[in-house]
Parts: sequence; C-alpha cells; structure tokens
Amino acid sequence: MSVFFLYPAFLFGLAAASLPIVIHLLNRRRLKRIRFPAVRFILLSQKRISRSYRLRHWLLLALRTLAVICLALLLANPIFQTGAGLFAGGGPVALVVVLDNSLSMKWAGDGNGFKQAKEAARLLISGLNDGDRAALIPTNIDGKEAFRLKGQKEILLKELEAIEIADGTANLSAALSKAYELLQEPAGEKEIRFITDMGLTGWDQFSLASMKRVDPSIALKLIHIGRKQQPLNGSIKEIRLASQGIGVNLPVQIEAAVANFSDSEIKDLLVQLSIDGQNKEQKLVTVPPKGETSVSFQTRIGQPGAHTGQVTLKKENFTGNAVANFTLEAQDKLRVLVVDGDPQTALVQSESFFLIRALNPAGERDTSLFLPTVIVTDGLNAANLDSYQVVALCNVAALPDGFVSKLQNYLRQGGGLLIFLGDKIQPENYNQKLAQVLPASLRDKKTGAEATGEKIDKIDFTHPALQIFADAILQESVKSARVWSYARGAGKALISLANGDPLLLEQKVGAGKVMLITTSADRDWNDLPVKTVYLPLIQALTQYLAGGKRGSLDGGIAVGAAKELSLPPSLVGKNLRVTKPDKRNLDVAIAAEKDRSRATAIATIDENDRAGIYRLALPAGADKDGDVPPFYAVNAPFLESRLDEISPRELQAKLTPIRAQVIPVETLKEGGKRVDLALPLLALLIVTLLVEGWLGQRF
Amino acid sequence: MATNDKNYFDPKVLAGIANLGLRARWVVEGLMSGVHKSRAKGFSVEFEEHREYSPGDEIRRIDWKALGKFDRYFIKEYEDETNLRAYLLLDASASMNYASDGISKFDYGCTLTASLAYLILKQQDAAGVVTFSNRIESFVPPRAKRDYLLQILHALENRGPAGETNVGKILEDIAGQLRRRGLVILVSDLLDEPEPILKGLRQFRFKGNDVIVFHLLDQAELDLPFDGNILFEDLEAANLQIIADPRAIRATYQTVVQEFIADMRKQCHADSIDYQLISTSTPLDQALASYLSWRG
Repeated sequence: MSVFFLYPAFLFGLAAASLPIVIHLLNRRRLKRIRFPAVRFILLSQKRISRSYRLRHWLLLALRTLAVICLALLLANPIFQTGAGLFAGGGPVALVVVLDNSLSMKWAGDGNGFKQAKEAARLLISGLNDGDRAALIPTNIDGKEAFRLKGQKEILLKELEAIEIADGTANLSAALSKAYELLQEPAGEKEIRFITDMGLTGWDQFSLASMKRVDPSIALKLIHIGRKQQPLNGSIKEIRLASQGIGVNLPVQIEAAVANFSDSEIKDLLVQLSIDGQNKEQKLVTVPPKGETSVSFQTRIGQPGAHTGQVTLKKENFTGNAVANFTLEAQDKLRVLVVDGDPQTALVQSESFFLIRALNPAGERDTSLFLPTVIVTDGLNAANLDSYQVVALCNVAALPDGFVSKLQNYLRQGGGLLIFLGDKIQPENYNQKLAQVLPASLRDKKTGAEATGEKIDKIDFTHPALQIFADAILQESVKSARVWSYARGAGKALISLANGDPLLLEQKVGAGKVMLITTSADRDWNDLPVKTVYLPLIQALTQYLAGGKRGSLDGGIAVGAAKELSLPPSLVGKNLRVTKPDKRNLDVAIAAEKDRSRATAIATIDENDRAGIYRLALPAGADKDGDVPPFYAVNAPFLESRLDEISPRELQAKLTPIRAQVIPVETLKEGGKRVDLALPLLALLIVTLLVEGWLGQRF
Repeated sequence: MATNDKNYFDPKVLAGIANLGLRARWVVEGLMSGVHKSRAKGFSVEFEEHREYSPGDEIRRIDWKALGKFDRYFIKEYEDETNLRAYLLLDASASMNYASDGISKFDYGCTLTASLAYLILKQQDAAGVVTFSNRIESFVPPRAKRDYLLQILHALENRGPAGETNVGKILEDIAGQLRRRGLVILVSDLLDEPEPILKGLRQFRFKGNDVIVFHLLDQAELDLPFDGNILFEDLEAANLQIIADPRAIRATYQTVVQEFIADMRKQCHADSIDYQLISTSTPLDQALASYLSWRG
C-alpha cells in the first residue's frame, strides 16, 4: 500500500499551508484600538462563548490550512496504491523485477519463499498494461548477461518459470546495476521491484560503489518475503582432515564443524558422513545457540585414489544448507627399499633398525603409510626398483655396477633415493659411481667421540620436506641431537651442523630426487634415532622423495568461485571437459601459464553455479595418473544458510541516495488496485471551502 | 414642511446646532407644532409682576385696571403654583462621551434634557437639573420660571462628561435630598451594576415620585458593528482592556446587551417606573413623545 505523485514538483506548494497560520499571526499583531463604554458586555460575551469560539477559531484555521494542502496535493495528483501492485494508469511503465534466487530464499517464507517470490513476480508481470514494458533479472548473475525490457507478458512469464533457485549468494550489485541500466530508456514511469528475503549475507557483500549505474530518482521497492517463525538454523561450516594424510586402509579422521545461527540450541542433530555414496558413520550432536560444534568421524578408505564424500545434517524443521561435499585422495602405501649395509644378528644392532621403526613404528602392515622392505647389499642387483617409491641406502660400502645404472634410470623416472653414511662407506666409490646423482662429493670422514659431537644448527624451513620443523617441539628435539661422526661434503645444505658442515643435502635427478644425510641411520655416529624428531623427519623425507603424496582432503570451493587447475603443458590448446552436478557438460579451454617459472597449462572453471561434485575428463592423450584430480567439490556459501535479515535502517544506509521502500509480500497478494486521488481531493477541497465559508460567516 | 419637521429631531442635524437652548427650542417647537395643547393646566395663586402686552398673549389676562391707570396694556404675571416638579438627572460620566456616529451620548442626553426642561417650563411646570458622574456635578433646583431654562442650560453646558459612573449611589443621594414629590427623569447609559441603580430608582418611587428612565445607548453599543481584531479599552476604567474579534462575539454580545435591557425594563416596570431605551440614532421626538405620553 503506497501513495505516489504524478507531478511531485507541486508538493512544494505544501509550504503554502503555513500561510493561514502566518496571516493569523500577523493579524494578531496588527490590532485596532477602540475606546468603548460597554467593555463589560464584551467581557461577558467572551466568557460565554469562550470554548465554542476558540473551537471555531481553530477549526477555521485548520480548514484554511487543509484547503491549501488539498490544493497542493491536488496539483501533485496523488495516486493511492492498494497492496503493492503494479500501476493502473499514468502513462507507459518501465518495470524491472529483480528476483532474489539466492539459496537463502529456499528457507524464506517458512519454507516456500522462492515459490512466494515467483508468485509475486507473476502478479507484477500480470499487472502490466498495454504499452508497459518489463524485465526480469535474477540475482545470481555476474553482470555480463544481457537483459532488455519487453512488453510481451507471455515471454516474461516463461522467463520467470525458467528461473531456478541458485546455490550461491545474491549478487545484488550486479542485479541492481543492471536494473538501473535498463531503466535508462525513456518511460512514463520507472520502477524497480526487488523480491527478496532481505538476507544479510547478500547485503553484506553489496556496495553501492561497486554498482556501475545508479539513478536515485527511480524508486526501489523491496517486496519482502518474511517468515512467521524462527526456525532452527545452521549449516556445515567446514570439513577438514584431522589426521596426518590419508592412506589406504589406514585410519582417517575427518572433522566437520557444524554452526548454529539460531538463538536456540539444536539438539539431537544427526550428522552423517558418507564416502563414495556409502554411509560411513553418523553421530547425534547438540549445537549451542549462535555457536558451533566439531564432529569427528573415523573411517578407512579401502581403495587408493580420488573419492567423493558428503557430510549431511538431518533434523526435522532444520533450515540451512544441510549438505557439504568434499573430495579426498587416498594414498596407496609408500614402498621403501631399505638396503642395510651393516646387518647384524641382533636386529637392534642392524644399520636399518631405527629407520624401519621410524617408517613403520608398529611393524604391522596396515598401521603405517610406509611399507619398508629390507635387503642387504648383495641383493641390490636382484632388486626391482620400480616396485618402490623410495630407496634408502644405509651404510652401504660400495654400489655394484649393475645397480648404479638401474638406480640412475630409476631416479630419472621420478624415484627417490635417501643415502645414509656410516663406517662402511667408501667415499671414492660413491663419488665415482654416483657422481651424477650425489648432492655433494664425499670427502674425508670426520669421526669423534659422542661427547665431542656437533649440534645441529641451521635448518632450511622453507624446504617442503622440512616444514615439520615449524613445530617448536621438533625444532627443540633436533637441536638437542649430537652428531659426532660424519662425512664432509661440499654443497648447499638443507640442515647444517654448528661448525657449518652439511648434514642434509639434496640433488634433483630428472624427475627424481636424491637426499644425502652425511651421518649414519643408526646410533653409531649420532643420537638422532633416539630423538623425538627422528620419526617425523624420516617420514617427511621419505614422503618428499616419494613425490610428496600423502593423501589429502579438499573441502571444495564455494558456489560462484572459480576453480583453477594446473595441467601438464602438453594439454595447452585442448579442452577440459567438466561434468556439472546436473550432468551438464562444459568444455573449458586449457591455456598456457607463462607467469610461473615452470611452464604449465592452466584451466579455469568459472561456471561453478551449482553445489555438488564436478567431474573432470582430461583430453585424449593426457596422463591419467598425473596430478590432476578427477573431480572437485563445490559447496553453497556457508553464510548463505544464515537467515538473518538486514534491518531497514542498515538497508537505507547501504542504499542512500536510492529511495528504498520495503513492502511485505502479503500486501502485494492482497491486490494491486490503484486509485487516482485527484477527484476525492477535489471533493474534499470543495467541502473544506464550503465549511470554511459557512463557519467564517458565523464569526 | 414635512422635511423640516423631520429635521427637528434628527440627532445628526441637532449635532450641528451648537447652542443647546436653540437646539431644545427647535426640538420642542417642532414637536409641539403637531400636538394639541396639554390639558394639564396650572392655576395662578400669587401675583408676581406686570409685563407689557405683546401680540399673542391671551386677552383675558390683560389687567384692565392697569389699562385704566396707565393707558397701556399690561399683562398680569403670576408665579405658577404648579402641580409638577420635574428633576432631570443627566449622567455625565466618561462613558457618556462615546459617539460612534456624529452625536455623543452626552450631547444627545443634554439635548434631551434641555428639550424636556424647555417643554416642562413651557407647560409652566417646575424643572430642575442634576448632572452627575460618581458624584453630583451640578444641581439646579426645580423652578417654574420661564427664564429658568437659561440656568438649566448653563448647568448642562458648564461641564463635559468625565469620571466614572456610580448611578445607584447618586440616585440614593438625590432621593435623600428631595423634599417634595415630583417627576424624576433619569437620562443615563446605565453602564453600572443594575441592582444599585434599581435600588436608587426605587427610593424615588418610595417617596412618591414618578420616575422615567431614558436608557441612552449608542447604536454601536447595541450592535457592536466593528471588524477585525480589536483592542477594546474602557472609557471609564483605563486598565480594563480586552482583545476581541467582534465578528465572532457579535451575536452573543447583542444577546447580552438585550438581556441587560430586558432585565432593566422588566425591573422598572415591576416598580412602576417608565423605561425608555433610546439610541443616539433615534430621533428625539420619540423620546419626548414618551414623556408626553406620560404627561397624558
């Protein structure tokens, strides 16, 4: 229900309403003096009529003021709009209906908000008269779409039917900007009707400055889809991996953070984890009001490779996005060939004892990501290196000739080599045979007593394999270790001793990597194996040498965000096929990425407009076992589930200088009649003048 | 003639005549020209003087003995032993000085009083005048002498209207001073408390006097014909002021005034007092006619 004016400039005439009052005040000041004998009769008369006189006096003043107001309003020609319906006259109308189809509309209006919004839009379109034109703009646009004003209601209604609720947040700046752009065309009357739940998240991201076009003279009417009851409102904020890596058949701990946006506690909320569509585990939790709860799931992944997962919330009357998708990469066991150059009858005295324990502390097959196999030097020639991701040489005196070439080939194909030294080592042999792969040529051995050991001093924290030292405990542990015997070598050290001699060096060979530790793998030359840091350091180095894969969980991106994929440079110019959750295919061009030091290809997927799993199909000829994941997850923006509304004050503050009026959707449904108030005002003016004249005569 | 007759009594015309005696004569002569002789005749008891005959004198009053002695016609003048003593009481308070259109209430009152005196004297009755405000300003005791009119006129012209009214008290004072019964004629706007006025008038009646009240008001006092917002200042009480819109209160004012008049008339009639409301716009003959009707 509203009133607007066809000729609002005449409203300035309302200022003239003060004229009768001004004249009254001036008259009071301009008094005539008369000396009169019968003043006592005047006094008596005034006493008698005092009340009625004053009443009539003020009534007369009010009538005169009313007459001026009536005249000004009459000239401005007010139109009374019952409900919030469309125009009924006054020239051709240009109307832009902006329809909020953000995800929060799904829960607005007590569950059928979007339906209500569409119904309201249908009413507005149906109310168009001949000569009127309108356009329909959903809020999930990025501003590049083309819209135009149309006069055909049927086409507009078809467009309306095609608009679906989106999984993302409303792009209010783009939608309103587009609306003002459309209304640049000349029209008798222009108006924007924005049908919305006034969700706070959309307005939080809105900025008037980001709008390309604004015309404050065009009224913006917000048709509000409200709700009658306060629902239980929450969503999944985040899914994260709580354990170190994801190995096949190894325990994996996945945590889901569940948020409660409502003012009341959400009790007995069922949180369900499923992997590859199979329900893995479910828990009942209670989420405090305006708080969040972390739900932890423990599961095992049976197969290596990429998997899809989902965390689902279930409860009656629960509103908010209840599904969060994620993808995970389970890593198969990392096979490590440990060559013990100094095996002993007593295992504990063997050169490889501590190394094997570090790789698989429990000694059982399904308890560690690493699967070490120990051989002695004699078995080197027979070993099939391709079965292992990493080869560890522990105090191997000299390398057989046949093995060296096999090793070099293995390294070039991406294998990893970890070399520990020891008293058996023949530096010349290493320098000669592994000259191409050794990070540094070995010089003399430095031996000493345990008490005279050197401390570890410098660590390159930026190296991917050494990022574990961000942990202060491990840093302290490594610095407490002593190295009393080692082989000197020249080269850029990743870890150095206090005297500057290197302890850990690295060399890349083809696709493979070689790491040299200048001391022993056991306690003969140092006490590292008995330090806390030993296990994580060995696992980190081994994982690094195996290619850095350890299994991971990807919580996905939000709807509307772009997904960027790095691809092998050989794919430049080809298309990456993306299958969206609604089974529609999308081809994305793969372009060269030149800014990076290493030439790669890149594919940017912008059209992530639906929540769910997006499947990727690499072009023919691409390496299927490469680093490219076969799918990624897209989730509805977390805050879109928050059903808080923007207050009228905040709204006006955000929209100033645009005049915004909020109209409940119910009033629109009540009808859209429009009454020209000119005639009633004219009648009122005549009646006012007649009454004024009559009353004036009586004075 | 008819036009001239009319002019005799028109207050506006009278206002142009400065001489009060002339004014009174004009009125009375004009009036009497159309009226039969009074049937009330005084009878002579005491010889006063002789005066030479002049045409128009009654022949029966010629002193034939004197003719025999002096060979000239003399007329015998007697001091009339009249049966009427008229006291003309004229209100000379400040409120009487009001004139909305030409003649003020006081001037009108003076003319009326003078005319009445002239008429009374002419009928050989005794006439006296008292002018008063809140005190007696002048007192001319009643005499029936023909040339007594000059003294009366002198008393009337001697002082203009001033001071506050206290009609009731003055009437009581005068009533206390009257020794002989007669006719009391009060000419006043009666702008005072009604009860004391009526009390004073009743005093006259109590002593056997006949009383005629000429309630003299300006037409503006009756109609309140003003426009616009007006600050009314009282003519007598300087501190009595009021702002009013006459248009708004006119009807009520007129009702109030008419109620006052009606009340006064009713009270007077109850005490057998002749009451006559006279507006300054009323021709004087109507006022005099009222007296003559009383005189029979």
